[in-house]
Amino acid sequence: MSERVVITGIGVVSPLGADPAALHAALCAGTSGLRPSAEPGLSDSMVGSIPDFDAAAYLGDGNLRPLDRTSRLATSAATLALANAGLDTAEESERRGAAGLALGTMFGSVRTIAEFDRRALTAGPSYVSPLDFANSVINAAAGHAAIWHGLRGANATIAGGSSAGAQALGYAYDQLRGGHFDALLAGGAEELSFEALLGFSRLRTLSTQPRPLARDRDGGALGEGAALLVLERAGSAAARNAIVLGEILGHGLGFGPGRDSEIALAMALADAIGEALAAAGLGPEAIDLVSTGASGDPLLDAAEARALGLALGTRSGGVPVMAVKGQLGESLGAAAALQTVALMGAIRHGQIPGFPGADAIDPDLGLSAATSTRPLAARHGLVTALDADGQAAALVVTARRAA
Amino acid sequence: MRVVVTGIGWVTSLGRGRDQVWQALLAGQSGLTPVRSFDAARYPSKLGGEIDTFATDHGADRPGRASQMACAAARDAVADAGLDLASLEPRRVGAGMGTTSGEPREVEQFNDLLVAGKTSEIGAEFLRRYPCHTIVTTLMGELGLRGPNAMIPTACSAGNYAVAFAFDQLRAGRADAMLAGGADAFSRITYTGFARLGAIAPEVCQPFDRHRKGMVPGEAAAVLVLEPLRRALERGASIYAEVAGYGLSCDAHHMTAAHPAGDGGARAMAAALAASELDSDQVSYISAHGTGTPTNDKLETLAVKRVFGERSRRVPISSIKSMLGHTMGAASAIEAAVCALAIRDGVVPPTINYRDPDPECDLDVVPNEARSLSVDVAMNNAYAFGGNNASVVFRRVRA
Repeated sequence: MSERVVITGIGVVSPLGADPAALHAALCAGTSGLRPSAEPGLSDSMVGSIPDFDAAAYLGDGNLRPLDRTSRLATSAATLALANAGLDTAEESERRGAAGLALGTMFGSVRTIAEFDRRALTAGPSYVSPLDFANSVINAAAGHAAIWHGLRGANATIAGGSSAGAQALGYAYDQLRGGHFDALLAGGAEELSFEALLGFSRLRTLSTQPRPLARDRDGGALGEGAALLVLERAGSAAARNAIVLGEILGHGLGFGPGRDSEIALAMALADAIGEALAAAGLGPEAIDLVSTGASGDPLLDAAEARALGLALGTRSGGVPVMAVKGQLGESLGAAAALQTVALMGAIRHGQIPGFPGADAIDPDLGLSAATSTRPLAARHGLVTALDADGQAAALVVTARRAA
Repeated sequence: MRVVVTGIGWVTSLGRGRDQVWQALLAGQSGLTPVRSFDAARYPSKLGGEIDTFATDHGADRPGRASQMACAAARDAVADAGLDLASLEPRRVGAGMGTTSGEPREVEQFNDLLVAGKTSEIGAEFLRRYPCHTIVTTLMGELGLRGPNAMIPTACSAGNYAVAFAFDQLRAGRADAMLAGGADAFSRITYTGFARLGAIAPEVCQPFDRHRKGMVPGEAAAVLVLEPLRRALERGASIYAEVAGYGLSCDAHHMTAAHPAGDGGARAMAAALAASELDSDQVSYISAHGTGTPTNDKLETLAVKRVFGERSRRVPISSIKSMLGHTMGAASAIEAAVCALAIRDGVVPPTINYRDPDPECDLDVVPNEARSLSVDVAMNNAYAFGGNNASVVFRRVRA
């Protein structure tokens, strides 16, 4: 368990585009991916939706009917990631076929499950679609993506709310370091749904104007999307002359009980960060920027900031932070994977994006944020992810700078 | 680093408690009865593997049913291991749990209110109880664990995925003990789905029998305690078996139908043996996925033949799903415990309801009666929707 794990492909489908460079540019330009929800009765919510998402644009003429929205998002991101890695060719079919997939998600598709049950309730159990039942399992999106792309390695789904995407990347890292596979796709996918939106509105954690880390933050906005990275064992990537876009240097997990306890949640994430740094063999001073999971949620943002203080010590007051959920929304299982893509964009282009709320950072949080987009020469970045139910994950990531 | 199983806890339709369930399985008892938790009048089959009651500490602020079952199984497993959690650093103890559906009953409640026009009565508890990761977060919170954790909803192979996750955390030196298992609650949603697929056996679950007509949905939770061998020896723990290795694969073929040549299942078994540094010749017993559907059992037979070759008919393979039904994400965790117990006790459970041999399932399925057998190496197979395959190999710890 010693080989380096490199990133050779990125695939992203987000409210701010389906291209890592475009996503970076939109974040830096301060563009918001939020718009009013189209769900009946919930139009007063703002959401990071992708209303013009058309899976056929990525997946071509194949039969898309069996794929629900989460599956289409995941499978499309997989297409983009494999192409970016140069693994979509006929010559690479064997390597692609041996690859695995680790997909983070919160719900799979709660819409599919709920609609399946409602049809059985209202029309009777004989009137449900077997296709919908196949999609009701939480690993349906991972299954469809594997079928579509012929990925015959491990097929893991990791459920962990907002931390799932980072957990899935860590899981894939372990699979590669364990020598089980040469390559895995890893990241997360989540769709917006009536059920999730109603559920979160009942938790009263939603805002129409999310301002992560700001003094006046009053909640997050739900989002959707998918991001998958191609991770490879460094030796395997070198053997095929793959272009290395970045590297995962370490990862860590944590847990804190009590979804309403700021300190318990902070300690969970601090544990994860500490473990990720230790695995990377780096100290806090080596971290040049942090792609946080801050969404505008009063409690979770405070816990995340406190975790950075606990884990990074004095460095936490000086390290620049990003908070992409202000523009993308809280895309749950996809979120930490999107944070990772955004972090890589910032390192690659030498530019850290500002975010809504950065102009009025809560002084109690002890963080330093760019009030607006600015240049930054960064080498090592940290991705932090914390779910309200206590699961935490962190990644130490580098990216190759643009020539 | 070598990793061993030192504790077993389970909550099943055959009862709770390590010995109660193990003895019932060896006696060939069935936990399957007509469905009781909802009105199954409109369903062609009415068999289910439900749990009537189990002791739970949860009051009104309860988590979902699968979480409650998982906590009960976890407490039993820790007690069985004689593990004093208070003596361990909480950050060095974690959990990996698997599931197929998580907490589907919470969606059913959501829908009951929605369909009845009572949307305003849907409250915050929906999102506090429904997400499947609450199974592992509830368990971690209740037992005071702070270490590596993951909820792995890889459907009916999830229990094996969870054991593999825990194994990796220990081998990476991230934990001193891990809980690993699976949990799924009986639900209208799952039952409806399998009924619509025509997959539920009308009267009896008879894996590998020529006249088998299907599976039977069930519910359960099972949790194993895994520890590094050295720590287990140091504290004088009773050791069931060693986790030798695992293999994961995906058919990448079809969402609900296995690969017609048993390709993925065979690759998972072969990878598990390779990771364990064992030959198929050394395997003493296979705990089958063995759902009882015509297709699964035929294709699992093919997969076993691909890996075991000429020896395939001489390796005992049994399906306890004939007794507990298919407990989804809990199934392979239960079957992992069965492998561990088989190694410790030198006896393997039967496949019950076996009457007529099927030429397409011409394996030694340990028909109807438990068999005394010295088990050195046991292979646990699990297959799932999405073409997910996971095999875990257990072996006897030699002094």
